[in-house]
Amino acid sequence: MKVGEFIEKILMIEIIKGLWLTLRMLFSKPVTIQYPFERRKVHEGFRGRHALVRDPFTGNDKCIGCMRCTTVCPSRCIHIKREKRENKMVVTDYVIEASRCIYCAYCVEACPVCALVLTEDYEYSQYSIENLVFDKERLLKNWDEFTKKWGKDYYFNKFWQPPGIDPSRWPKTKREQGPIQIKRVEEIKREGIDESFIN
Amino acid sequence: MTDNTKELIINLGPQHPATHGVLRLILEVEGEIIKKCIPHIGYLHRGVEKLSEDLTYVQVLPLTDRLDYLSSMINNVGFCLAIEKLMGINVPERAKFIRTMMAEMARICSHLLWIATHALDIGAMTVFLYAMRDREKLLEMFEMVTGARLTVSYPRIGGVRCDINDKFLEELEKFIEEFPSKVEEYETLIDRNRVWLKRTKGVGVITAEEAINWGLTGPTLRGSGVYYDVRKFFPYDAYDKVEFEVPVGKNGDVYDRYKCRMLEFRQSAKIIKQCIEKLPTGPILAEEAPRIRMPSSPLKINKEDIQFEIYLMEKNIEDFIKKFTEVYASVEAPRGELGFYIVCDESAKPYRMRVRAPSFVHAGALSRLCEGSLIADVIANIGSIDIVLGECDR
Ligand code: SF4
Ligand code: SF4
Repeated sequence: MKVGEFIEKILMIEIIKGLWLTLRMLFSKPVTIQYPFERRKVHEGFRGRHALVRDPFTGNDKCIGCMRCTTVCPSRCIHIKREKRENKMVVTDYVIEASRCIYCAYCVEACPVCALVLTEDYEYSQYSIENLVFDKERLLKNWDEFTKKWGKDYYFNKFWQPPGIDPSRWPKTKREQGPIQIKRVEEIKREGIDESFIN
Repeated sequence: MTDNTKELIINLGPQHPATHGVLRLILEVEGEIIKKCIPHIGYLHRGVEKLSEDLTYVQVLPLTDRLDYLSSMINNVGFCLAIEKLMGINVPERAKFIRTMMAEMARICSHLLWIATHALDIGAMTVFLYAMRDREKLLEMFEMVTGARLTVSYPRIGGVRCDINDKFLEELEKFIEEFPSKVEEYETLIDRNRVWLKRTKGVGVITAEEAINWGLTGPTLRGSGVYYDVRKFFPYDAYDKVEFEVPVGKNGDVYDRYKCRMLEFRQSAKIIKQCIEKLPTGPILAEEAPRIRMPSSPLKINKEDIQFEIYLMEKNIEDFIKKFTEVYASVEAPRGELGFYIVCDESAKPYRMRVRAPSFVHAGALSRLCEGSLIADVIANIGSIDIVLGECDR
């Protein structure tokens, strides 16, 4: 053992160095977020709780019952029942089992009319697993709850039109989809805002 | 006096926090010395390989996230590479660079968690907190681009899922600038600490020849002084366009494996830096990449489907399926060589998928590493081979 090493060992240089580092950290700004009191803002496009978009014009969901989301879902947790009524396809039942979902957002990407979305809402733990089976009403309610928190007038999900992908790969309705207005048209009318603003 | 010493059988795990998941070890000990060590695995078996036989190639991709959940990006890349090889898809240059960048980010992320838990197991609490602090930044960057922190599902067959923006690049550049100094911080704490040296030097020694015979890969193999890295030997994505070194150890003990990974931090940072500089513009998804909804059988596409869902000319499909009925592609995951072996038939679903998981091989070598050592060294050994049971049990 060399003399230098020996002195280092006796004086515990390496341990003092480490302790000095931790001591310095004591006076630096903490990085911890006190979770239930403060919330981290998630980035746009975070894949959270499912919701069905409420159409600002009709006040209902936009789903046309094309079954694309069901076929593409890897965990097969979307169940749709549909019926033909007066030559039109009507979705009678739309259920997503969120407890089985793996949050891949394939359904959001596959939907041709951008009716489905994984919102940025991440706080939805439940005491019972039954509460995580979202039916149509629940999914629309999820949307309402989410938009209340959203704080902007328009909403657009990244996975409806993934940036950088050639738009010709999408069906026409999807290509033309712009940001969704959160307020319903009736509400805006009631508030007496100029109608030209809506379009 | 009669000799009444007896071997004692100790059960370590599966709920033991230092076994990194649900690994169970049965230790036959004589005093403090381990006579035999039998790893028991399978507590996290989810049947990913079997499950994938029932899903289209596009649908299997999110499942691969769940193998090695600490570096899901690299798993995705490995699977995509296999399918791209199968279909003969040429990935655009930009997508290649983005993938390389993201894969290195995932490597740093995974190694940070490794140093955190490994140091915690051996008794250095502070490193855990510092490593977690820096990992959080990377996870946030993942969230910004991919929409998820751990299970990213970001690469796609034929490219990546969405483009990156300038804000992300800026933040990543900032992180990479200061990251080497962060690594120095960890090293100040443990690199020369006498407790750390006592616990790691000369523990769990495996020679180069033995390491090869056990099938070890990744930093665990390189710690023994074997120069092998999939990124160098079988370059994929943009690894042949960036410069980096492969750090190798010498003694093959826990300390050398630790040292290898610490040096890899710096190399990964270097690769990311080069990727940011060289990032070309252009498309991020190949023209012929499959749509998200693969048709049920690529050989029996009817004309109506073609207008909306075609991804390859009919002729080509037949050609390449005849040519390649099976394919193997491997990537250098943070733990070692991760391979995907796929046998395909004429449907859009894999006929059989097999994952060559490095953790599985490493868990097997644990018995060799632990025999003859002390009980406390078992924990150091488990930490140094860095296994993830999600990948091991699949
Ligand atoms: S996110 Fe994925 S798993 Fe979840 S419902 Fe959509 S397609 Fe299915
Ligand atoms: S893909 Fe969209 S429109 Fe089609 S069934 Fe699903 S939610 Fe409805």
